[in-house]
Amino acid sequence: MLQSFISHPLTRALFLFGLIISIISFLAILLAPLLLPIIISFALYAVLEPLSSMLERQGLSKSASSLTVLLLLVLLAALVMSLLLPHLAAQLSALQKQLPAVWNTLVNFANEFSHYLAHSSGLNLKISAFTQPFIDQADELGKKALIEGSNLLISFTILMILVPIFTFFLIRDFRTIRNQLLDKLPNNSFELGWIIYHRVAHQLQDYIRGIMIQSGIMSIVVTAGFYIIGLESPILLGLVAGILNLIPYVGPLLAMVLPVLLALGHAPLELWMVGAAVGVILAAQLIDNVLVIPSVIAHAVNLHPVIVIIGIIIFGNLFGFIGMVLAIPVISTANIIFKALLQGIKTRQPAYSDS
Amino acid sequence: MANLKHPLWQNLFRPQGDRITEVTAMWMDTPLFENISRHKCRELVKNMHPRQYKKDEKIFNSGDIGTSVVLIRQGEVEIRAGEKLLAELRQGDFFGEVALIIDEPRTADAVAAEDAELIFFLRSDLEEWVQRSPRDGAQFMLNMSKVLAARLRHTNILMSLQAN
Repeated sequence: MLQSFISHPLTRALFLFGLIISIISFLAILLAPLLLPIIISFALYAVLEPLSSMLERQGLSKSASSLTVLLLLVLLAALVMSLLLPHLAAQLSALQKQLPAVWNTLVNFANEFSHYLAHSSGLNLKISAFTQPFIDQADELGKKALIEGSNLLISFTILMILVPIFTFFLIRDFRTIRNQLLDKLPNNSFELGWIIYHRVAHQLQDYIRGIMIQSGIMSIVVTAGFYIIGLESPILLGLVAGILNLIPYVGPLLAMVLPVLLALGHAPLELWMVGAAVGVILAAQLIDNVLVIPSVIAHAVNLHPVIVIIGIIIFGNLFGFIGMVLAIPVISTANIIFKALLQGIKTRQPAYSDS
Repeated sequence: MANLKHPLWQNLFRPQGDRITEVTAMWMDTPLFENISRHKCRELVKNMHPRQYKKDEKIFNSGDIGTSVVLIRQGEVEIRAGEKLLAELRQGDFFGEVALIIDEPRTADAVAAEDAELIFFLRSDLEEWVQRSPRDGAQFMLNMSKVLAARLRHTNILMSLQAN
C-alpha cells in the first residue's frame, strides 16, 4: 500500500515539485534584497535579447552586442526621463497641492449628503465622526510618505545602478550559464529538463513582452483620454494606470480610484468629469480586452480566472504590490513545471501512463 | 539512419581538429545538412549538447517526451522495440529526428551498446535557427522531410515483405 503510494507518479511529481519550489524559495529569500533588480533585469533581458542576437548575427561579438544594447537602453531611458521627468514632477507637485482640496470637497460632499438625508428622511448621520479619522490617517500617511519617499529615492538610485549591470551580464552570459547548469542534469532527465525550461521560458517571455506592450498602450490611451476630458495630471495618471494594469482584474479597479478622487476634488464639483474619468478607464479597458489582450497576450497564460484572483490576493497579502504583479507568472510557471514533471514521470512508469 | 561507410574510412577522411570541427564534419556528412553551408552548421554545433553514456545505459525509452535528434560521435547505439532489435547505429549515425518536428513521445527505446558520446541537437535550438535564418531553416526542413519520406518508404517495403 505504502509502496504503491510512494511509487505513484503523482506522489513522485509532487515530491520533485516541492523540492524545486523549496530550492527556488530558498534562493528568493537569500537574494531578497536583490530580487527587484533581478526581476526587472530578467524582464529587460526578455525584451532586449532578440536585439542583441540580431547584432551578433551582423558580426558583433557577444560582449560588443550586449554593450551596444545596454547603451541603447541607457540612452532611451535618459531620453524618456529628460522628456517626462519635468512634466511628471510638475504634475506630482500639482497633485500634492490639490490633495487637501480633494479631501475638503469629499468632506463637504459627505456633509451635504448627510444634511440631505436628515432633511428628507430624518436620518441623522454624524459624518465628521467618520471622516475625521480618515483625514487624521491621511495626515499621518502624508508624513510617513515623506520618510518613505527619501528611502524610495535611495532604493531607486541603487536600482538604476544595479539593473543595467545585471541586464548587461544577463544578455552576455545567461545562455552559457543556463547551458552549463542544464547540462549538469543526469542523462535520464536531460531532455525533460530542457523541455521544462523551454516551456517556462517561452511562456514567461511571451507574458513579459505582452504585459509591457499592454501597459504601454494602456498608459497612452488613458493619458490621451484624461487630456481630452481636461483632468489634471494626465501623464501621471496614465502612467499609474499602465503600472496598475500589470495586475489582472484588480489593477483596472485600483486605477479608477485616483482619477475619480481628482475629478471629485475638481472645484467647482462637476459630476460629468467624474463620469468622464470612469468612462476613460472603462473605454481603455474595453480597448484592452477587445484589441490588446487577444493579439498581444492571448495564450501567454492559460489559467482559470478564479485561480488568478485567489493568487493575486494571496501574493498581494504576502509580498505587497510586487507580489500582485508577480502572482500570474509565478503560478503559471509552477503549473508548467508540475504538469511537465507529472508527464515525464508517467511515461517512465508504463503502468501509469494512461492514468 | 544506418551509415553504409566503414568507420575506418570515415575517420581517415574526416577533417581532424577540435571537437566542434569534428562534430560539424559529422553532421555535414548526414542528409540533414545537405546544401547548408559548413559555416552555418558550425554555428549550430556550438550550441549542441555533448553527453557521455555508459555501456547498456538507456538513452531514452519508448514513451519518453523527446525534444532532440541525436548524433553518435563515439560508440554504438541500439534502437529497440521491446526485445526486438530494430537497428544498430555507429559513429556518424543519427536517430530520434522525429522529435525535432513533433511534440510526441518517442516510439522506440535507444540503448548505448558500448560507452558512447552523443551530441544532442534540441528542437528549441532548431526553432531559433529557423527564425534567424529562414532560408537555411527551410532547406533543413526539406532535408528532414526527405529523411522521413525515406524512412516511411523503407517501413512500407518491410511491411509488404512481411505481408507476403
